[in-house]
Amino acid sequence: MNVNLAHLHLLLNHVPTIGTVIGLGLFFVSLVGRNDSVKKASLVILLMVAAAALPVYITGNAANEIVQNRVSKELVAKHQDAAALALAFMAVTGIFAWLGLWQYRRDSRPAGWTMFAILLVSVVTLGLMTQAATLGGEIRHEEIRSAEDAAAGPGVVASIGQFVLDHSWVWPTCETVHYIGLCLLFGTVLAINLRLLGMMKSVQVSALRGLLPWGLLGFGLNVISGMLFFVATPTQYTQNVAFHWKIIFMVLAGLNTLYLTFDESWRVEEGSDAPFGAKVMAAVGILAWFGVLYMGRMLPYIGNSF
Amino acid sequence: MGFFIWLEQTGFAQWVHESESVFAFPTFLTAHVTGMGVLVGLATVINLRLLGCIPRVPLTPMATFFPVMWYAFYANVVTGAALFASDATAKVQTLDFYIKLVLVALGMLSLVAIRSEVFRSPAVDKVPVSSKGKTLAVISLILWAGAITAARLIAYLAPRHHAAFLFQRLGSLL
Repeated sequence: MNVNLAHLHLLLNHVPTIGTVIGLGLFFVSLVGRNDSVKKASLVILLMVAAAALPVYITGNAANEIVQNRVSKELVAKHQDAAALALAFMAVTGIFAWLGLWQYRRDSRPAGWTMFAILLVSVVTLGLMTQAATLGGEIRHEEIRSAEDAAAGPGVVASIGQFVLDHSWVWPTCETVHYIGLCLLFGTVLAINLRLLGMMKSVQVSALRGLLPWGLLGFGLNVISGMLFFVATPTQYTQNVAFHWKIIFMVLAGLNTLYLTFDESWRVEEGSDAPFGAKVMAAVGILAWFGVLYMGRMLPYIGNSF
Repeated sequence: MGFFIWLEQTGFAQWVHESESVFAFPTFLTAHVTGMGVLVGLATVINLRLLGCIPRVPLTPMATFFPVMWYAFYANVVTGAALFASDATAKVQTLDFYIKLVLVALGMLSLVAIRSEVFRSPAVDKVPVSSKGKTLAVISLILWAGAITAARLIAYLAPRHHAAFLFQRLGSLL
């Protein structure tokens, strides 16, 4: 049997739904039981589910290319729209979960409004995720389809993609935003990781955390501009080995960021060396983000996008 | 123009432009973008510090960024020269290319000015950043954002192959 990206989609697509149920369930338990360890664990789960949702969405496009002549286009379009909306809310949940973890690190307890936001957004996300999953299931399972499911017309995601292609200014604008976001992200990554590696040793590591919102802003700009490229011409990415590597490096870089969120190296005082483990992780962080940049720039050359 | 035609015809420029090897044009381009990420990334961190973000970071140790930024700049002069040679006749006819060069030069000048105004000041880290220092930081951020915009748009505004090629590829996908 040849394993293709459609199989990968079928394998991964349960993660966002079930993961959100587990994360949200644990979050409830932690609120009722006032247990900080459980709360931290639930935030980590929500964050990891958010990170996993992107590959699920992308493999979904690849799956569509493989099965497109054998399934209803309308059902796929509805599933895609629901999945894109769920992905957006999942990303917001992930950002708030990371913020909550970050507040644990900084103030040893998260702010009340962050917890409220996580509760609200993750409940909405769960609803949207369930909807996307159901619509996805209906593509291959006729027995669960309801009567009105065959409504025609192009989906919202397809319309956004068409908008990008129809207006020649959108692509260059997104490319420009993508490069500016890259600089914000790279500056933050370099400043913090180079400090851990021993440059600017007279700086307290925690004094650099004010850069994190700027790094996050750069990452957010690039996810949005990147998704606009993706929805406009999905095949040039789903069938591009450089893009697969780019996503793998992004997941690596994300795990690295998660590690550094918890790592004790934030306590390293001015004039002190970071522990060896933190130095290794700092080097891995820089290399992982460089990998993302390298594979991104090589999309047209190792793969065949433009 | 004769010089640029000659430059474009040199063996090296031909190799950069025509070779199928991933180490030719793609590697020069990727190295150029990496240099940009290091240079503009660190410049952004310094400018954000001058504007009051990360106030607890003293400026003196941040001065170690300057040599790193200059190395990134020199590396980009080299990779940029190779990329220019590979497509010289088209680039010299593109106004946007000159705008980019000017903005990069002004961006580097803004860093030199920031270094002498703020980092080389005897009062560095003893008094808050001067309003002149803050103004320079804002100017520097704008110049670098402008340089990136102009640089990125060269691919779409340069005559001959690139823009046409991109939209041709786009057309074949639809």
